[in-house]
Amino acid sequence: MTQVIIDGKPCAAEEGETLLVVARREGIDIPAFCFEESLASYGACRMCLVEVVKGARPGITTSCTLQAADGLEVLTETPEITGLRKALIELYLAQAPRAESIKALARRYGVEKTRFARKVVKEDPLQNRCILCGLCVRVCGEIMGAGAINYIGRGQFTEINTPFYEENEACMGCGACAEVCPTGAIALEDRTDTRVMKSWSETKVPLARCAACGTFFAPVPFTRYAHEKLDPGILDALKDLCPACRSKAAARKAILLKKEGVIPPEPELQA
Amino acid sequence: MDTARLNEIVERYPAPAGKILGILEQVQREVGYLPKDILQFLAKRLEVSLSELYSLATFYSFFTLAPLGEHVVTVCMGTACHVKGAPELVATLKRLLGVEVDEVTRDGKFLLTTEDNHFSLTSARCFGACSMAPVLRVDNKIFGYITPDRIPAILEQFGWKESQHRGS
Ligand code: SF4
Ligand code: FES
Repeated sequence: MTQVIIDGKPCAAEEGETLLVVARREGIDIPAFCFEESLASYGACRMCLVEVVKGARPGITTSCTLQAADGLEVLTETPEITGLRKALIELYLAQAPRAESIKALARRYGVEKTRFARKVVKEDPLQNRCILCGLCVRVCGEIMGAGAINYIGRGQFTEINTPFYEENEACMGCGACAEVCPTGAIALEDRTDTRVMKSWSETKVPLARCAACGTFFAPVPFTRYAHEKLDPGILDALKDLCPACRSKAAARKAILLKKEGVIPPEPELQA
Repeated sequence: MDTARLNEIVERYPAPAGKILGILEQVQREVGYLPKDILQFLAKRLEVSLSELYSLATFYSFFTLAPLGEHVVTVCMGTACHVKGAPELVATLKRLLGVEVDEVTRDGKFLLTTEDNHFSLTSARCFGACSMAPVLRVDNKIFGYITPDRIPAILEQFGWKESQHRGS
């Protein structure tokens, strides 16, 4: 355990822990777009700037790449930092003019408009909300192991999408990308038995149907992934059930076990 | 390019996954572009995602996803050349090469190839030869102070024939 001082407040931290995480735990709200605890720090969005006033390298730096160490003292909001953040917000307002989270941050910092040309693309698959933070690409590749999407092109024309802008069978339809996106840019839609990843070139993924109640509940490739990677011990009889029916079946089994002390027959399944 | 040749290129590297750029470069040189089926093959062979290869292929200007003609005419669209009339050069070249269809990609880049595959026309940002603006390049040769009326003579050096290439 070590102690760092954030905005004058002593905070306990693990040695080497990310300062942004420590601050958040303490209820200090440092804006950040490209940080996700399950991934290595990326330092791309520059929103999480803080000023190190005491520490190995004093000066302004990104708190998502700053490691807690004894005696570290930082300030999260100084006039200089506020100025930098405002400039960043202007840039983001231009890059992603429809992103609600950017607009909310702009309100928080009193940024009313941007000096830069707003980039509005007609029929943008990412709804003019993408700030290219890279989280969706990294979650899809590094965590889910699918690698369905990536950066395309370079410079001001960089976009995120599937290769060749075509439906990509590498996509499991898990929606982890949409889950981590800081600006709500990624659109997907469940149409009865199919999940449509609208932002990813309309990639279509079939949905699995619950063997008991018949509702479509999760993308087929993702249920396979979940059985293999997340929950390998799951009973075969529970595999084809939606979460609600699964817990019902599991509860029933538990009750029967208690009551009769015998292993009950498999839960009966209606087609 | 057949699978045997592709495997040969891949096997040249002890750790092929770390040498993706080298492999793609070789394919681009030999085939003249990066065909989709080759990228798909390499993704499997190198155990990387297709999206990653596509990302690299679209990042580096050296790679193209469409076939290039035998001679590549590149017009500089840097600021100086632009001001000095590069757009007129492009218009003239399109007419002389008979590639008037506009196939501009989302990022404003274009790659137009004549029907006989003899010429491709494309643009680039600053060549670093602003003092001779406007400039154009055919293959590796740079031509400066270009005016539209000088273009036919330049193209002729590379096998351009008015009767064969000129659009209507
Ligand atoms: S779509 Fe969202 S998560 Fe992906 S790069 Fe853009 S802003 Fe980041
Ligand atoms: S969260 Fe630190 S740079 Fe994006």
